[in-house]
Amino acid sequence: MNRRDLIRLGTVTLTGAVVASACGAQANVESSSNIAAAGTVVPNDKLADEPVDDMVLLRTAASLEYSVAALYDAILGADGLLSGDYAPAAALLRRFRDDHLEHAGAVNGLVRAGGGTPWTKANPRIDDRYFVPALAEVTAEGNPDAALDAVTLALAAETLAGQTYQGAVGSLQSASLRAAAAGVGQDEARHAVVLAQLLNPGYAGVAPSTDENGRPTVASVPGTFGGLASVQVRLGNPGDNGAKRNFILETPSLNAYIYASMS
Amino acid sequence: MPTTLPSGAPAKPTEADAGLLAFAQSAELAVHDLYSAAAGVSGFSDEQRALLRLFGANHLAYAQAIGGAIGKAATNRRDEGIYGAYRADMFTPVRAMAVLQDLENTLARTHTDLIGLLEAVGGAELAASIAMVEARHAATLALLREPGDVSGALSNPAASLAPGGAASPAADTTETTVAP
Repeated sequence: MNRRDLIRLGTVTLTGAVVASACGAQANVESSSNIAAAGTVVPNDKLADEPVDDMVLLRTAASLEYSVAALYDAILGADGLLSGDYAPAAALLRRFRDDHLEHAGAVNGLVRAGGGTPWTKANPRIDDRYFVPALAEVTAEGNPDAALDAVTLALAAETLAGQTYQGAVGSLQSASLRAAAAGVGQDEARHAVVLAQLLNPGYAGVAPSTDENGRPTVASVPGTFGGLASVQVRLGNPGDNGAKRNFILETPSLNAYIYASMS
Repeated sequence: MPTTLPSGAPAKPTEADAGLLAFAQSAELAVHDLYSAAAGVSGFSDEQRALLRLFGANHLAYAQAIGGAIGKAATNRRDEGIYGAYRADMFTPVRAMAVLQDLENTLARTHTDLIGLLEAVGGAELAASIAMVEARHAATLALLREPGDVSGALSNPAASLAPGGAASPAADTTETTVAP
């Protein structure tokens, strides 16, 4: 190694040290696990360190039933919300609410039989993330499509419930519980068809299609196989560009399960 | 330790599962053929015929998916017992629509029972994804036949054809016909 090589190597080493010091801990700066970001970074809350067994899946299903029933109670309790063409939806939602409470009781019966503790409340995360803000959009003052949006939200809730049971079939360990889940899921699917036919009646509303603006229409049979994709729904007052707020509903997962430790 | 999901059940259909799913496939092919027969009956409107073709194609897709899941165990033949029992009902639109609604309920119930018998998760997931839409088929047919018949759409009075389920014509089945 000659003198020129030594100088070149020194330059590289010095550059590396400068870069390393820029990336490393700095004096008087509190260390953080977060990468550099502007503003306040939300802390990374860890999920519950618990197994997801059949009882957790069933308790979660029961919680969703209570959430949907509570959503329908809220819609029915909103004065004059279901009116006009959608007035018949009130009787449907009353019936469906009762069905959901019955489902919750049946599912909790399975929980009890399996040695678990029944869950008799709504799912807090589903309520907080989906149903409460969605209903707020539906009932927002001046919403020109409030009744339509209420039925659309109910259809989304039924679709979500059906998908939750269908998805549980792939996670439940007990074959008999899988069959029970599939049976309840079909009840939710039938609810969805009734609401879909209310929104888009007749033969034209059976298969997926698009309206004159190219937007997808409501379909009683939206696919060949039961899907597990997220449920998208647009609700509330149209914004400046005419678009309503978009909600994406996902079936309960690790952050929405009702774990054994929850009471 | 992170939150854990359950495991242990086989993912792919077992030998016992293959027999159950082969039966389901033959039932799906029989109902597909019944839809095809109904679509050939005069008196249906164009939109009714489109619905018959759509639902019939769905049943063919179910048979194909089941065939893919069980491979060589698939018979790829319709259940002649089911087909023969209902072929004569595909004569008038009114009668055909009523019978097809019953058959959708029957298949949905059958798949639900099969889910309780299948050992592998994969077969159960497939059956569940089929049963969910067959329930939709049944509810849709109920509402289209009698608009406002919510009770008809929500209920499933059909018996299961699954082995060990309610009495069914499956016992008389002779699977001899190659599906189209």
